Amino acid sequence: MLACFASASCLVTQTTGGLISGMLLFLVAAGLSLIFGTLKVINFMHGSLYMLGAYFAFTIYNVTGSYALAVLGAALGVGLFGLVFERLFMSRVYGTDVLMQLLVCYSFILILDDAVKIIWGAEFRSMGMPAAFQRPPIMVAGGVLPVFYLFLIGITVLVALVLGFLITRTRIGKIVRAAAVNPTMASALGINTTMVYAGVFALGSLLAGLAGALAVPVRSLVAGMGFSILIESFIVTIIGGMGSVAGALVGALLIGLVRSFGSIGFPLFTEGIMFLFMTLILITKPTGLFGKEL
Amino acid sequence: MRKPSIGRDALVAVALLALLAALPMIFPAKSFADFVMRASAFAIFATSLNLLVGYAGMVSFGHGLFFGLGAYSFALLMQKLGTSIPVAFALTVFINALVAAIIGAICVPLKEIYFSFLTLAFQMLLYSLIIAWTTITGGDQGLTGGVPRPPFLGVHLDDPHHLYLFCCTTLVVSLFLMWHLVQSPFGYTLRMIRDNPRRASFLGIQVWRIRVLAFIVAGVFGGIGGVLISLFVSSAYPDFAYWTVSGEAVFMIMLGGVSVFFGPLVGAALLLLLNDLITRVTEHYSLVLGVVILVFALGLRKGLLGFVMQAWRKYAPAAPGPGKNPGTQGRH
Amino acid sequence: MLKIENLQKSFGGISAISEVSLHFAAGSLTAVIGPNGAGKTSFFNLICGALRPDGGRILLDGENIAGLSAPAIVRRGIGRAFQIASIFPSLSVREAILGAVNAHHRWHARLGRRFPLTVAKPQADEVMELVGLTAQADTLSGNLSHGDQKVLDIALALALEPRVLLLDEPTAGMGPEERGRMMETVHQLWQRKKMTLIFIEHDMDIVFKFAQTIRVLSYGRVLAEGTPEEVRRHPSVIEAYLGARYDAEHPP
Repeated sequence: MLACFASASCLVTQTTGGLISGMLLFLVAAGLSLIFGTLKVINFMHGSLYMLGAYFAFTIYNVTGSYALAVLGAALGVGLFGLVFERLFMSRVYGTDVLMQLLVCYSFILILDDAVKIIWGAEFRSMGMPAAFQRPPIMVAGGVLPVFYLFLIGITVLVALVLGFLITRTRIGKIVRAAAVNPTMASALGINTTMVYAGVFALGSLLAGLAGALAVPVRSLVAGMGFSILIESFIVTIIGGMGSVAGALVGALLIGLVRSFGSIGFPLFTEGIMFLFMTLILITKPTGLFGKEL
Repeated sequence: MRKPSIGRDALVAVALLALLAALPMIFPAKSFADFVMRASAFAIFATSLNLLVGYAGMVSFGHGLFFGLGAYSFALLMQKLGTSIPVAFALTVFINALVAAIIGAICVPLKEIYFSFLTLAFQMLLYSLIIAWTTITGGDQGLTGGVPRPPFLGVHLDDPHHLYLFCCTTLVVSLFLMWHLVQSPFGYTLRMIRDNPRRASFLGIQVWRIRVLAFIVAGVFGGIGGVLISLFVSSAYPDFAYWTVSGEAVFMIMLGGVSVFFGPLVGAALLLLLNDLITRVTEHYSLVLGVVILVFALGLRKGLLGFVMQAWRKYAPAAPGPGKNPGTQGRH
Repeated sequence: MLKIENLQKSFGGISAISEVSLHFAAGSLTAVIGPNGAGKTSFFNLICGALRPDGGRILLDGENIAGLSAPAIVRRGIGRAFQIASIFPSLSVREAILGAVNAHHRWHARLGRRFPLTVAKPQADEVMELVGLTAQADTLSGNLSHGDQKVLDIALALALEPRVLLLDEPTAGMGPEERGRMMETVHQLWQRKKMTLIFIEHDMDIVFKFAQTIRVLSYGRVLAEGTPEEVRRHPSVIEAYLGARYDAEHPP
């Protein structure tokens, strides 16, 4: 692995690979963090939403041939799914034992994993690069930078900016933050907390679905693909700080790069390094790099 | 409050063991013995998780780590080091205790949801380790070559009848020990910490330390469950450390009733029965199980045994107390 | 016995306690009074270790306990009861008090025997009898009435055989008759156990009837201290808290 640091091309390739991993992770983690920050509930099946986004995008692209449509459709579709899930199921277990919430999410992971297997089959699927992006990659210092990567990074950065803006500067953002901090008070002030919860859950789901759709050209699809990204998202929010968009970005990029460089070394190393980071943060600054006091 | 008596409970345990030992004469089918052995492993595991969840108020999502660790430690010790079964058993207990101490020390100081998720993260770390370290663990195929079962003290575990008795004995002894722990002053301190950790610390209790101890005990017994399962399948599979094991254990606890000591035992048996039923009817096991869990989570909250116990309870229902969890009233 | 020197505590730039120096004699019965926000509960929190002081010393029989953890301070003999009863809802009254007795004697981590420990029973029974909860011994703490929960809260602190007992608004949320009974119980406890008792209270009738000495806090500072007679005449206290007509309406 150290040899890679000496080679510019290797450095570029691994860095860009790490960047897109990080970007995807950021989208998922941001959604998870948003839901947790506002609803005080861990959406344990958040990884399944990512998986759904990937499969939706896969199908839409195969049917329509348009990747743009696939991404849009998948994101909106998963957002809708999240909305329905929240309204019909999750909201029934608000305020109960966290174990009940876990069981509801766990049940959906099981159901969705099998549903995916039934509809799309149990084997690994892959989509390949969409037609729009089948261009020669950009060469940077001898390293490969596929055009799609730029697109992915661009979209994610855009989303991050919009999200940040939405939360901190718009009225909607204020309402969401109010409902997060003190739902009883917010409700007494006339804020429809039910709608806020539903909306936030839908938005968080949309982000996960978007991530899945963006991941399809560069990852293979299989039932259960969401779970490891769920765990990583959580580690990201620990490192970055729960409730912080900037923290999620930094944490996700960190993990993405660690994964990328770690994968060319001993594979165990990657997991270990991630955990080392996380444990270090927990010991030194438990609220995370950008986190606020909970 | 019932009159506590170690002696009386020991007698009950012996009677239960005798009953279990006699059952194969009534149900001679191999599937019955298999069922009991598998149920033993999971019952011990689920009960150990309930020590944390039900009695200490520590919701661990990653308890499956110890199930897998117990299974792999034991199997590897037997396979690679050729130790005797009692030695391997003891070493496995030690390894689980050590790992539990380390992970507990890191996770316990964290706030609830962080604690829950971090335990899960550690479990997945172990899982990745198992999958990646193919030279030692056999990777995703599981351990090949079987787990040797050399005789010890006249016990021949390759004799299915001996194995059955061994599992039943381990089950009864483990449950007895855990029951005793729960009924000891330590157990009541756990309940106090569960109900009101702040007040507990204002009684001079070092909450952190007690929680880590509970975590260690739970980890040890979780590992014992793993030992049994690895003996039963004569191997160790990565599935034993996969997150679904933790999820299923949670379901077992909820199914049987979180406020009752024997809830997890009942839940384990029920879930195994359910699993067998489902796999017999369809290949879409996850789907059906998922639906069952969903229906349960949205409907039947207190678990089967909890339901029954509530009907029996003579405690004054009066005004509902400010308990933190549903089903906290009238715990054993 | 309990000597507070220059205690300081700020929260994010706002000073909750500043330059508070007080002395509580051994075996005294003191009321701490003052308007809302005066810092009374913070004062208690600092003494019993729920908060770390930013400055100053808290001397318990000469030993500075400022900054120690709550369990450490508790083990040195300071017991605390809470404004909102802080109890263990799923345990019965007897079990909870036994648990507290266990904690006091460091028996709470014992694994060898069953709960309840035979050695702990007499003490628990005594505490229950002292506070008058014996009839409720087997009731779940969570099912007790509000008043009884407050009593249990005090009982839990008593089980620790404290040298100093801090009661945060022992009569909070009670009707006038219940308040009287509660304070009678507290007073009897104080007499029997000969401990240093400090209580926060808003009901001035209670305060002037039961307290030996009074400390008045306002805006995080000591406004006045002395006997009830001295305090009720004190101009600053009248201005800040009692109101000019109190004395006229409540002749001693």
